[in-house]
Amino acid sequence: MSDATVLVLMSTISTGLLLGAIFALVAAGVTIVYGCVWLPNASNGQFFVLAALIAWSLTTTLGWGSAAAMLAVIILGILLSLVLERTLIRRLYDTPNRNIAYFVLTLGLTQIMSGIFSLTYAKWSDQFTLPPLFEGVTMFGAFPMSNNRLGVLVIGFLLLGALFWFLRQTPYGRALRAVFQNREAAALRGVNVRGMYKFSFVLGSTIIFIGGVLFALAYSFDLTVAWTMAITAFAIMIVGGPGSVLGALVVGLVFGFTQAIVSIFASPTAATFSYLGAMLAMLLVKPTGLFSR
Amino acid sequence: MKRVGIRGTAAGVGAAVALAFTGGAVAQSGAPIKIGFVTELTGPWTFFGVSCVAGLKLAQTEINKAGGALKRPLEFLVVDNQTNPSQAVAASRNLDVTEKVVAISGPTSSDTALAMYGYAEQNKLPFLVPVAAFPQLTKPGTRYTFRLEPNAAGWGYAMAKFIEQKKPGAKVALMYSDAALMRAITAGFKYQAQRSKLNIVQDIMFPQGSSDATVQAAQVKASNPDFVIVSGAGAFDNTITNQLLDLGVKPNQVIHPYGITTQVFNWGQRSVGSYYGTFFDHSLDGVTAEGRQFIKNFEAANGRPPSYVENFCYTTAYVFKEALQLAGSAEREKLRDALSRIKSKETTSGVPIEFDKNGARKEYIYYMQIGSVDGKKTYKAKQAFYTEWDPEVIPVYDLVK
Repeated sequence: MSDATVLVLMSTISTGLLLGAIFALVAAGVTIVYGCVWLPNASNGQFFVLAALIAWSLTTTLGWGSAAAMLAVIILGILLSLVLERTLIRRLYDTPNRNIAYFVLTLGLTQIMSGIFSLTYAKWSDQFTLPPLFEGVTMFGAFPMSNNRLGVLVIGFLLLGALFWFLRQTPYGRALRAVFQNREAAALRGVNVRGMYKFSFVLGSTIIFIGGVLFALAYSFDLTVAWTMAITAFAIMIVGGPGSVLGALVVGLVFGFTQAIVSIFASPTAATFSYLGAMLAMLLVKPTGLFSR
Repeated sequence: MKRVGIRGTAAGVGAAVALAFTGGAVAQSGAPIKIGFVTELTGPWTFFGVSCVAGLKLAQTEINKAGGALKRPLEFLVVDNQTNPSQAVAASRNLDVTEKVVAISGPTSSDTALAMYGYAEQNKLPFLVPVAAFPQLTKPGTRYTFRLEPNAAGWGYAMAKFIEQKKPGAKVALMYSDAALMRAITAGFKYQAQRSKLNIVQDIMFPQGSSDATVQAAQVKASNPDFVIVSGAGAFDNTITNQLLDLGVKPNQVIHPYGITTQVFNWGQRSVGSYYGTFFDHSLDGVTAEGRQFIKNFEAANGRPPSYVENFCYTTAYVFKEALQLAGSAEREKLRDALSRIKSKETTSGVPIEFDKNGARKEYIYYMQIGSVDGKKTYKAKQAFYTEWDPEVIPVYDLVK
């Protein structure tokens, strides 16, 4: 195999894995909240960008290292989710058709957050870059991969594995899945359903925060990424099956690879629209998604 | 509600201007000469609009301290267009009808500028565009619109000339976002590349919202180009650059059609040796004494050196001053005629300012090579190339509709 072929092949694999891991994480965060609370979080893209912007502030303004900034963002993400749950989300737990109410509520949050970003960060810069988590390059044959992207990829997959293990193997994870499947039955078996609502909102939102930081570590970003990520996360959730974490993980990875492969055999434009096409086709053929129960 | 907001903004800026007048102004008589400045203070283009106003305000303060124009203070009524063309038209109409401004200016986006262009031409309102490069803003038949920034297809022309001079017959790869500005630059480049006998080995366009270019960077690397022209929208520009460098493309093979201060900071130390186009830079050889003062004042106020965006907006105020003096009156038609006759120079760099029959400027560009980047505070670059050209040296209005 020539060096040129190795370059293109390895870049396709690494891009597919990296984008796939980030897509899967964010979509898993969105689908955990939707599956448990019936909350289609329209502001997931703004949460994603908020995390990236906080990390940027901590590293650029305060001079923190990227690892410390990442940990701080996770803690802030948990605290912010708790505050939002207490002040806004829990007020609608008993509302009939609450998914519509939540959608409108989170659309409002999107507007508020995007307005705040416009009045602050947008005035300071038109683009943002975090310092790398790891320096240097690792060679895979003729393909040089930056250790920073490699590190983000490994962290992304470790987190996905940990999330999957948590949902399958721990009592909390099983309780969460029980609420996904049947709230009444879960309550009869002694699961604190409202407690699970709160837990799932905090867990899902924190995962979106982590996705935002990982993305900012791997790529430069600007405020428009909020919209792109929000659409992508919803597309993955719809194709994978709303409420299915397995669906989010599998379809997220497939979308990452699709984007990488289509962009090389067709064009980057076709790649971007390929997953939106997949979403529309899924809505027509199997609206419940690939992995719905 | 929007109307209140707009007037509130204008009133606020008016008050700020009034405060600025109180300090050491040369004697002025008469009411201020009002000029509408409709720019992007919110929305996706916020950074450019806010930076532009920062440059404008420095010039406004200087001009009014020195006696204003026609012995009257210049008052720029700054209004937010929210990076929204229809809002830009509404704000222009309000300034025209309610404030009776003598002219309008301000947009830093081609979309909002095109919307204001329609209003200005239809209502015979002089319109000086500081920063917007879409060619059709000075299409044949234009009468009331004048533009300081060279048109984007011309940038592409100049880039081909730059590469031709660096390496005749060079192999060039193009990586750019699917946005009006980048398409115009690319159209100009492709037109001239043929004539300059450059060989385009890759031509990759990314849709807006793209986040990864690793695969395309690998394709580019595999085609072994002499130069890669990188022109991504927003942060994606930096992502493409980093991914090319990750794969072993050398910095001095990378050419950015344009670069502003924040971009250079983001490209960072690893991009030392790469090139970018600009119309003003604090590292230029030809910065005048006034230009150095402008840079110093801007850095003191904003913590970073100005780039061409701020300089064009700073220059806008001086062009208005000079045109008003030339017109001898603050009447719209006389101001329009004066703008069409103006033969001046940028106070900051000495580059000539004169407009052709369509309001397009005698065009020019510098190519700079990055020498060092010191965090987010400053950077050094050296001038690698300079050229001037007639706006219609290539068929810009046919290349980009």
